[in-house]
Amino acid sequence: MNEDLLSKKDLLELTGISYGQLYRWKRKDLIPEEWFIRKSTFTGQETFFPKEKILERINKIQEMKDNLSLDELADMFSPSITDLTLDRDDLIKRNIVSQSVLQFYLENSRPFQHFDLSRMLEVYILEKLLQSGDINLEEGKMILEIVRDSATETRQKKCELVMIRKLGVSSCFLLVNTESFKVESGTKIVAQLSLLHCLEEIKAKLL
Amino acid sequence: MAKSKNLIINGSGSYSGGSYDKIIIRGEGTVTGDVECSLFKTYGTSEAVENVKVETMKVFGEGEVKGQFHAGELVVMGTMSIGGKALIKKLKVRGMLDAGERLYGENVDIKGSIAVEGDVEYDTFHSIGSFEIKGLLNAETIQIALRHSNSTAEEIGGGKISVKRKSALLPFFKDNGSLTAKVIEGDDIYLENTEAEVVRGNTVKIGPGCTIGSVEYVYHFSQSLDSTVKVKTKRA
Repeated sequence: MNEDLLSKKDLLELTGISYGQLYRWKRKDLIPEEWFIRKSTFTGQETFFPKEKILERINKIQEMKDNLSLDELADMFSPSITDLTLDRDDLIKRNIVSQSVLQFYLENSRPFQHFDLSRMLEVYILEKLLQSGDINLEEGKMILEIVRDSATETRQKKCELVMIRKLGVSSCFLLVNTESFKVESGTKIVAQLSLLHCLEEIKAKLL
Repeated sequence: MAKSKNLIINGSGSYSGGSYDKIIIRGEGTVTGDVECSLFKTYGTSEAVENVKVETMKVFGEGEVKGQFHAGELVVMGTMSIGGKALIKKLKVRGMLDAGERLYGENVDIKGSIAVEGDVEYDTFHSIGSFEIKGLLNAETIQIALRHSNSTAEEIGGGKISVKRKSALLPFFKDNGSLTAKVIEGDDIYLENTEAEVVRGNTVKIGPGCTIGSVEYVYHFSQSLDSTVKVKTKRA
């Protein structure tokens, strides 16, 4: 484990929330069980959290809890794909994808009627990577392929998409439940994207 | 789904699962597959080998669910054991309940005893009986009245936690209950007859009969004279 940990005490102090709130959010599955890391310290047993993740999550909960119920929030944070479909115009209207990327996506897919959440995820990833200029269209196709093929994985686990390039040759991976990874020095990581994050962002745009 | 069928076993019988309106077992009954129904009553012994989804279940004898259990309401007057994960919105235990994994829902009311291998997560948790929880007991309000035998939980966490002793029904039968937990954390904590390594809270009141390793509090701390607290720290 190479990430920074934050003790529960410090977390409560930093964020100003109470024990009751923290436990309530855990109960409602707003904070995943794996983030609770129990350790023995000289002051007795204490719980620790991965610092960045928990602070970001709590920020988000605090921002949105006024508008959404806890159950709605839980749905949003859960990686499982909810059943919801949109059509093309909606996607553009809601800023999930631009016209040109959508066109590219449609050219590279079999014809279909509506966008469900897994399609939205695919197109959103493309949008992010293509618009940032990190990848070219050929690489976009590659990404599309891997995301599509591993749809069952992305549905439940935390996945990360990584694109690397070495001597002009590119390749991409989907990391499933990985803590960290290393590449040798000649290789450049072109893009790295957490699918769970993307899903959250999409869901935020949908609400 | 048309749930018009009833399954009634009088005597002894074994049935495959399916979807029913009512299942009533008087005697001994086994359901071998997944089953879904609105009412499940057991007056003798029942066993469900797979998963059970039910609106209301009442057990007056002995019930067993080996798989996952999903219930709007469960009343246990006898004994009941659940193998898998159990979502029980309203739980009332007057006898004994064993759960092999996580137990969660909205309200629990225990006047008997429960034993849970995993976490217990509820909005309100009331117990006048005893419990043995191997994981975390997490609830918004936790009210525990200790009447007999020792209750244990690895960790207790929530908003308001109150643990009080309650005299036994028979005055000459002096067997006071007690509670043991490693960590107790909450906003508002009151404890009696409790043994814990660490207690952390905003306001912590330690009543009589406690042995606490260390207390960390934010606003207020008080302690009864016949309790021992080794270390107390006020957190800024």
